[in-house]
Amino acid sequence: MSNGLAFSGSLDFLSLGEIVQIIGNNGGTGVLRIMSKYAPSPGMIYMAKGDPVDAINGDLAGLEALFSLFGWTEGEFSFSQEPVGHENVINKNRMEIILDGSRMVDDGKIPVLGPVSYKEDSSDASGDRTLPLIKGPFVDYMYVVDEEEFYEGDEIVLEGNYGNWMWVVLEGIVEISKQTDAGSLKILRLSDGAYVGSISSFLTESSVRRSTAKAMSRVQLGMLDSHLLANEYAAMSQELREVVKSLDNRLNQATDNLARIYAEKDKADRFLRDMRPVIEQGQNEQRVFTITRGKAAIGRKTEEGLVPLLELSKGDFFGHLPFLKMGHEPHAASVFASADLKLSPLDVPGLVAEYEGLPNSFRHIIENLATCISVTTMIACENHKNLHLAKTSKAQ
Amino acid sequence: MAIVNLKKREIECKIVYYGPGRCGKTTNLDYIFKAYKKQVSGEMVSINTDGDRTLFFDFLPMELGKLRGCDVRVHLYTVPGQVQYTSTRKLVLRGVDGLVFVADSLEVRREKNMLSLKDLHQNLKDYGLNILKVPLVMQFNKRDLAKEGIPLMPIEQMEHELNRQLKVPTFQASAIKGDGVGKTLQNCLKLTLLSLKKELSWSD
Repeated sequence: MSNGLAFSGSLDFLSLGEIVQIIGNNGGTGVLRIMSKYAPSPGMIYMAKGDPVDAINGDLAGLEALFSLFGWTEGEFSFSQEPVGHENVINKNRMEIILDGSRMVDDGKIPVLGPVSYKEDSSDASGDRTLPLIKGPFVDYMYVVDEEEFYEGDEIVLEGNYGNWMWVVLEGIVEISKQTDAGSLKILRLSDGAYVGSISSFLTESSVRRSTAKAMSRVQLGMLDSHLLANEYAAMSQELREVVKSLDNRLNQATDNLARIYAEKDKADRFLRDMRPVIEQGQNEQRVFTITRGKAAIGRKTEEGLVPLLELSKGDFFGHLPFLKMGHEPHAASVFASADLKLSPLDVPGLVAEYEGLPNSFRHIIENLATCISVTTMIACENHKNLHLAKTSKAQ
Repeated sequence: MAIVNLKKREIECKIVYYGPGRCGKTTNLDYIFKAYKKQVSGEMVSINTDGDRTLFFDFLPMELGKLRGCDVRVHLYTVPGQVQYTSTRKLVLRGVDGLVFVADSLEVRREKNMLSLKDLHQNLKDYGLNILKVPLVMQFNKRDLAKEGIPLMPIEQMEHELNRQLKVPTFQASAIKGDGVGKTLQNCLKLTLLSLKKELSWSD
C-alpha cells in the first residue's frame, strides 16, 4: 500500500458509516478502500476534504456504488491520504449518505454481502421456492489438486455410494438433495467457494455419501488435496478435532431431521422425552461443553412451537463458539439434557485462538459447515411452519 | 464518548432524541433547527424511515462557551424506533453522549411510551451503555392537547410510570409550539457537559 496510509482496520469494529464520519470530521482527502472476501475486487471511495466525491464497486460508480458498499459488513478497510483527481459526482450531504445508506441496508434495499444470498433465481422455472444460495470466500488454489467439469443435470455424487473426495465449487451451482419416503427433497444450493462432500470423506476409509449433488449449470469443481487436509487436521488439538467432527455430525443430523419433517415423520412427541432444558434460547451463555455421558437435544422455539433439530451424544459439543455462526444455541435455539448428562467444559479462548491460527482451508470449511447448518435449520423451521399451518387449516 | 478534534479545536458530542413513533422527536428537532438557526451549521438531513423521519444536524450552542479553548459542537439526532432499523440505530446510538427521551402524553400512547423506554434500555445495553449512567432527560410532550379536550395522562402518572427508577429531570413541553423544547435541550446539554468534564477529569 502507498506511503500515505492514514488508518485501517476491520469492518466488524467500525462500520462504513462510522469510518466515513471519522474521515469527514478530519477533513481527509484520499482513497478509502474496502476489502471483502466475498467480492473479487475492493470497493473504492474517493474523499475530498472529508466528503465523498466518487466511488467504484465492480461495474457500479458514483453514488450507486457508494450505497452498495454499505452492504459490506464484513471485511477490512484502509484509508490513504493522496490527491484525488475525481470530479465530484456525488454532491450529497455526508450525513445524509450515511444515514440513508444504513437505512437502505435495514430496509433490505441494499444487499448485504455474505455467505448466503436469497436472490431470486429466474432460471428456476419449476415453480419451486428458490433455495438460498450458499457461497464461500475466494478459493485458495493451494488445496486444489485437480479441476473437474460437469454439465447441467450431471450427478456429481450419488446418495448411498461410497466416496472419498471433497470438492470446492469454483464456478456454477450445485444442488444437494436427499431421498425421503415422500420423494426427493432439495436441501441446499451451493455456489462459488462452497464445499461439496463431507469432511468425513477423508477422515474415514470409505464413507457413504449421505446426499446427492447435482450440477444445475455448467459447474467447475476443484478437487481438494485430501492428503494435505488430513495432515492439517491431524495437527489440530484434540479438542478442535472433536468440535469439527461434531459440527459435521450436526449438519448430517440437521439434514436428516429436515428430511423427516418433509416426510411428515415429525417425531416431536418422542423428542425431548425425559429431558430438561439446560440452555434457554436467547440466554446469555458464553461457555462451551463437551458431552461425556448421556444425551442432549437442540430445538428452536418458534411461534408455531418447538422445532426439533437434532440430538447430540458423547463426544459432541454444545454452547457458544464465537467463530461459529450456525444459528443455534444459545441465541437461536435451546439445549435440553437427559437426566444422566455429564459434561466437561471446553477452553473457549484456546479454541478461538487456535481457530484463528488455522490455515485458510479449514477455516473456510468450518465456516461453510456452520452456514449450511444455519440454512438447513432455517428451512426446517419453514417446513415445520407450513406443516403446522396445513394441519391447523385441515382441523378447521 | 465525545470526540476531541484537535485540528479544529472542537469537542464534538452527540445528543440523541429517543421515543415512540410520532411522539414529537422530529418536531423537537424541527423547532430547534428553526429557532436557533444562527447556531446551526450546515443543513438538516432528513431520512424517511417507514412512516417516521430520522433527522440530523450540527449545532453550536453559543451559551456553552469554550471548554479548555475548544468550541463545543453538538450533533443532534433522532433515532428510528422501528425494530428493523438495527444498523441505523446502532450507527446513531454508538458513542452517544446525552439522551432526550420524548414521551407522548396522550392516554392512548401509555403503553407505547413504556415499550419504547424498555427498548432504549435494551439498545443501550447492547452497545455497552447503562441507562442509569448516560446523561438523560425526559420530556412529556403534547401537553397543549389538553385544551382541545384530548385525554392526557397526568404528570404524576407519567413520572410514576416512566421515571420512578430513573429519577431523571423531566420537562413538560408542546414541541409543535416550541414550549419547553429549548429547556429540555439546555438541560440535556448541561448534564452531558458535566458528565464529559467528569470523564475527561476536567474539574473547572
